[in-house]
Amino acid sequence: MAWNKPVIREIE
Amino acid sequence: MLAQDIPTLPRGVRLHYDKVRENWVLLAPERAVTLDQIGYAILNEVDGQRSFGQITSALSEKYNAPVDQITEDSSGFLDALRTRRFLDVN
Repeated sequence: MAWNKPVIREIE
Repeated sequence: MLAQDIPTLPRGVRLHYDKVRENWVLLAPERAVTLDQIGYAILNEVDGQRSFGQITSALSEKYNAPVDQITEDSSGFLDALRTRRFLDVN
């Protein structure tokens, strides 16, 4: 798997 | 985040695999965030003992990517979690 900018999704 | 900083998960915060969403979730009391595979890979290296510099070096080897890029992306990622109290730094 290649490096990508990580993503965070907040669950609200 | 500085190279000598040691990130750690606060008490009550833990990684959890969500079978419904089929992805990793960072759980805190009454709060949660979902992570992509890279986010999980970063947090999987956080053990409360190794420094941010050691973690980015390990990720650079693992992903065969420039350490500068990994440092920039990981720093922003961990700072975002720290701001929301999903992460502490020693």
